[in-house]
Amino acid sequence: MFGYVNPDKPELKMREYEVYRACYCAVCKAIGRKSGQLPRLVLSYDLSFLALLLDALNPEPNRILRERCIAHPMRRHAIIAPNPVIDYAADMNVLLAYYNLKDKWTDEHDVGAGTASLLIGMAARRSASRWPLQADGISKQLACLQSLEKSGCDSADEVAEPFARVMEILFACPLVKDEATRKGLSWLGYNLGRWIYLLDALDDLEHDVKEGSYNPLLLQYGYKGGSVPAFRESIRERMAFSLLYPLSEADKALKVLAIGKNAEILDNVIEAGLIRRTDEVLAGIRNGRNKRQNTGA
Amino acid sequence: MAENPYKVLGVKEGASYDEIKRAYREMVKKYHPDKYRDNPLADLADVKMREINQAYDSLMKNSGGSFQYQSESGESQDYNSYDANAKSGRQSGQSSQSSSGGQAGANRQQSGQTGQSGQQGWQGQTGQTGQGSQQGWQGGQQAGSTDESELAKQARNFVNAGNLAEAQRLLDRMRNRNAEWYYLQGLIFLRKGWYDRGYASIQRAVQMDPGNFEYRNAMNGMNNQFQGYRQQYVNRGGAQNPDMCQLCTTIWCADSCCECMGGDLVGCC
Repeated sequence: MFGYVNPDKPELKMREYEVYRACYCAVCKAIGRKSGQLPRLVLSYDLSFLALLLDALNPEPNRILRERCIAHPMRRHAIIAPNPVIDYAADMNVLLAYYNLKDKWTDEHDVGAGTASLLIGMAARRSASRWPLQADGISKQLACLQSLEKSGCDSADEVAEPFARVMEILFACPLVKDEATRKGLSWLGYNLGRWIYLLDALDDLEHDVKEGSYNPLLLQYGYKGGSVPAFRESIRERMAFSLLYPLSEADKALKVLAIGKNAEILDNVIEAGLIRRTDEVLAGIRNGRNKRQNTGA
Repeated sequence: MAENPYKVLGVKEGASYDEIKRAYREMVKKYHPDKYRDNPLADLADVKMREINQAYDSLMKNSGGSFQYQSESGESQDYNSYDANAKSGRQSGQSSQSSSGGQAGANRQQSGQTGQSGQQGWQGQTGQTGQGSQQGWQGGQQAGSTDESELAKQARNFVNAGNLAEAQRLLDRMRNRNAEWYYLQGLIFLRKGWYDRGYASIQRAVQMDPGNFEYRNAMNGMNNQFQGYRQQYVNRGGAQNPDMCQLCTTIWCADSCCECMGGDLVGCC
């Protein structure tokens, strides 16, 4: 949801980058087709990684279309031809964005988020009717997350659990019929979710200190005022472990899945892109992009 | 299963004997059951391992070499005397484990098999790791006060079977929070995905009982996995300053090795 899941672009081959882009665009187009134009704004890199991963389980080569897009009307872009797993990822993207925005509205009374959640509400209900179990699971876990955050939970491991479960639900795609494969996907998703939540908490230290908002790391490691960069430095080693260990588990999960194509891109994301991102956040380097907006483009 | 064996091992068709052997060893390292011990993906890794062995076997058929990954449910079995002995020797350890724990035991067993020709060095090496971990496994089951140690034993079985809720319930009932308690608690956290707490618990177990091989082994395993994963990135050329990192990791590896043997190279860690 937060757009952290990205490849290490400089290390990708041009062709691989094209496929990655084509998948990202395909999810965006699928949201447009299934849910309307507006929800396309909530497109997230994390979910396009899910699409790429699920699609890679099918060894058939992709059909690549060349299409125009509203965001870039002048040029035709390569896009992976629509298929069920890409539609699934698109639906999950809308659902997750919707619940997130709704929580932000009820929680922080963020008017922007409230409006956005109203605007994509219809689309989210349509997605939920297509995937009722997933929708139910996501909303339950996010409610659990909210109550943990509200109660001021001081264990990062504990508060990261519900979000990890959300990602677990998303990754265990019911379109994948093989149960063992679904198990591998679940574990990958769970660990990725754990990483995303903790990374976001670490990334938000400055913001949360300034606003006085909840942050599990401030509580767990007993922040007592003072310089945030110094605090970040003091927890750096523990956090490096908490962040990289789940990724190493995700990597193990990726290795046991029967990946039929695009293995280089997936490896690049899990074995390089995510580590690079982790290192940046550990060092306190923020992306220029405002990640609070869910737009990835 | 009918996949191209060259593809399974990730080598070009018509690769030489040595290339195949090297690729095979890489693959075995990658999917070795020791790496997936106490992991929800153990059975998936097991399937991979079997595919790899089948592919290797089919490529090596003409060259006379043979190395087979064995598991109790494996289709093609070729027990030799060594393996049979090893099996009966571990019976006691296995009987206390429940079904999936038993499977993990079987996974560990794979390394203790002897090949026919040209594989001796490699065999010896894996044989040792398999036995080492088995030993550690049993070494941890020492007697405390009878009641509590019975609870700990049951909890351990539940952890092995993947029934974490039940294992946690038993641990919560125990009053004597000794090293084994912290170790088991750490395993539960680890399996659940609560790595920070898992590491802290296991570290505590090691501090309380520094001589215990099993606890130390678990902690080293976590450190190795964490460092190994980052090392992959460094090897890809990802880190800005690979030389320094390489140096650190080398020192760290040397330190871990020393610690395994009871010594210490770097005092602070």
